[in-house]
Amino acid sequence: MRKLLLASTAAGLLAAAANGTAFACDPDFTGVELTATTQTGPYIASALQIAAKGWEEKTCGKVKVVEFPWSELYPKIVTSLTSGEDAFDVIAFAPAWAPDFTDFLAEMPAEMRQGSAWEDIAPVYREQLMVWNGKVLSQTMDGDAHTYTYRIDLFENADNQKAFKEKYGYDLAPAKTWKQYLDIAEFFNQPANNLWGTAEAFRRGGQQFWFLFSHVAGYTSHPDNPGGMFFDPDTMDAQVNNPGWVRGLEEYIRASKLAPPNALNFSFGEVNAAFAGGQVAESIGWGDTGVIAADPKQSKVAGKVGSAPLPGVDEIYNYKTKMWDKFDQVVQTSFMAFGGWQAAVPSSSTKQEAAWNYIQYLTSPEVSAQAAITGGTGVNPYRLSHTTNLELWSKIFSDREAKEYLGAQKDAVTAKNIALDMRLPGYFSYTEVLEIELSKALAGEVTPQQALDTVAEQWNKLTDEFGRDKQLAAYRSSMGLPQK
Amino acid sequence: MTRNDPIKHFFIWPALIIVLLISIFPLVYSLTTSFMSMRLVPPMPARFVGFGNYADLLSNPRFWHVAGTTTLIAFLSVGLQYVIGLSVALALNSRVPGEGIFRVGFLLPMLVAPVAVALVARQILNPTMGPLNEFMSAFGFPNLPFLTQTSWALGSIIVVEVWQWTPFVILMLLAGLQTLPDDVYEAAALENATPWQQFRDITFPMLLPISTAVVFIRLIESYKIMDTVFVMTGGGPGVSTETLTLFAYQEGFKKFNLGYTSALSFLFLIFITVIGLVYLAVLKPYLEKHK
Repeated sequence: MRKLLLASTAAGLLAAAANGTAFACDPDFTGVELTATTQTGPYIASALQIAAKGWEEKTCGKVKVVEFPWSELYPKIVTSLTSGEDAFDVIAFAPAWAPDFTDFLAEMPAEMRQGSAWEDIAPVYREQLMVWNGKVLSQTMDGDAHTYTYRIDLFENADNQKAFKEKYGYDLAPAKTWKQYLDIAEFFNQPANNLWGTAEAFRRGGQQFWFLFSHVAGYTSHPDNPGGMFFDPDTMDAQVNNPGWVRGLEEYIRASKLAPPNALNFSFGEVNAAFAGGQVAESIGWGDTGVIAADPKQSKVAGKVGSAPLPGVDEIYNYKTKMWDKFDQVVQTSFMAFGGWQAAVPSSSTKQEAAWNYIQYLTSPEVSAQAAITGGTGVNPYRLSHTTNLELWSKIFSDREAKEYLGAQKDAVTAKNIALDMRLPGYFSYTEVLEIELSKALAGEVTPQQALDTVAEQWNKLTDEFGRDKQLAAYRSSMGLPQK
Repeated sequence: MTRNDPIKHFFIWPALIIVLLISIFPLVYSLTTSFMSMRLVPPMPARFVGFGNYADLLSNPRFWHVAGTTTLIAFLSVGLQYVIGLSVALALNSRVPGEGIFRVGFLLPMLVAPVAVALVARQILNPTMGPLNEFMSAFGFPNLPFLTQTSWALGSIIVVEVWQWTPFVILMLLAGLQTLPDDVYEAAALENATPWQQFRDITFPMLLPISTAVVFIRLIESYKIMDTVFVMTGGGPGVSTETLTLFAYQEGFKKFNLGYTSALSFLFLIFITVIGLVYLAVLKPYLEKHK
């Protein structure tokens, strides 16, 4: 009798466990271990880790996140892809590397490319940054666009408003144009009061060129000539020394004079510190600035952080006609600086179904929304729902701050005129040349035109070295243009 | 066990193979790579270019500029390290009160990781939040562009190098001073030699062998400076504070131009070897004289 009782209890427990497992594993990836790789954490790696835990509970699979220092990540991925070895099932990488990876990536399953979760991804990612030659080869897992941040208290101070209007002849408000941006920076540049106009990254190797690109994007991204910001998409001739670029660089240099002393040594981290430390009246950069500045633990200006899209322009250089085209309305160009980390599955992976399922979970509206408001994940909004869920963001922002921040983020990824970042094979070779000349121009050793002429000459040389036709094809793909 | 016992192979070969694998193979592989055009980004098939990478480097003004910058940093910082190090070592050798505390205090900078030292220096030299500029502003001086103007940036890097590595010089010279025989000084005192004469004719010449070694070691190490520059200035403004190793890093780990980087590494090796040989050749007569 005792034996019978024990046996029936054991059978009952086994059945319950079996039922429990079947209930928990949806879909069932029991026994599947995925290897995902990205840069050393916390940024991005922690987002993968957090999602891995949830995915493991949901599917009974396992995810091993292998982290490499930034400098080693590219060679590790590229060597595993080109050798065809089954080293990684998921790779999370910088979008600039996409041109070198796309030949070795599996296409996203059709069922992931439909439904509300798919439509929720901002169109610029869904239709451009995740697509290569008409195929969706990666999934954006982080949004990256530059926006504008300003000090609400300074801008709404009656004395400031009066003095500003007297000096510049228009109302003090978040900058609508790059000219206004510099006027405002000049007005608030008051070193005697420990206050400076603006903060941007100017340090070589400190994300400086993305800040220049934001200035330049306005003057060179002509709505009629998409993809013509960096190179002529017909000839692959560098456009980097055209008058639009020169104006952008002149304004970038001017901004450096209206920034705190030593700003030439600022990387994005220092920009955030300067804004959160109450040293500057406005700044441009990624969404991290707003999040950090709104946090009372890290900021002296919490509760006073306003956000807006990047300033715009009323004239744009047309590289085809070699003329400046005037516009009746201000054209607000959004620049997708860096473009946001991408997650993809190598064709060599033998666990593609599970790998895509993990990416789907990682980038699902719920999981990604939580990552976006969790400090240290490095995940910025890339879904429309990330920018509409006020309740979610009220955990870190005041109502007004949240409204403006989310509005700016949404406008940045849904703007009519969006400039995509450069994504080319040999990306760092191109940007290194630019960084060196940029630093010389910022230090006043060469004029903006001289600096950009040198860059153009060397970019053309690099293009020839890497193969003009190959680079042209990659450039057109990266800009979402059809092949010639 | 006799000299011809075959068991010796059992002990020798594993060690030899390990040495070959660990030290010789990477060198040979790197040398071979230096004669190839090999890029990981964008991936391009490797091809033999002979001395092409070397010729490109030698005709590249940036290479000569960074070689000059590195030489300037190395010679100035090591010169200052030696002068300050010798002075402090002499002071510590004269048994001043609290000498033990001073000795530990002076050694502390050397024990800190260079990256940490550079980060601390960067913070100290920060114009708006750094204590140095704050202190100077209190006396009405303007904020100084410590890390953003070439001459100031070079000066700042040299000062940090001197601050961190003078303790090493102190340590070595102090050890040397403590081995000098007392009877020579007693004889000199009997002859009424002044302290300066004792230093010039006894201490300095007798310290020359160890001084030569210390300066040589520091010179070689200073030529390899990278972390301090990387953190403090990133090689900027432009390439004005870029050093040879930072240049190699940019080429190797940012552009993945492996053939070019290998050639640069070997040119660097040749450069340092030549400097070392010249240095030893110049000092040889003096060393022989005071043997």
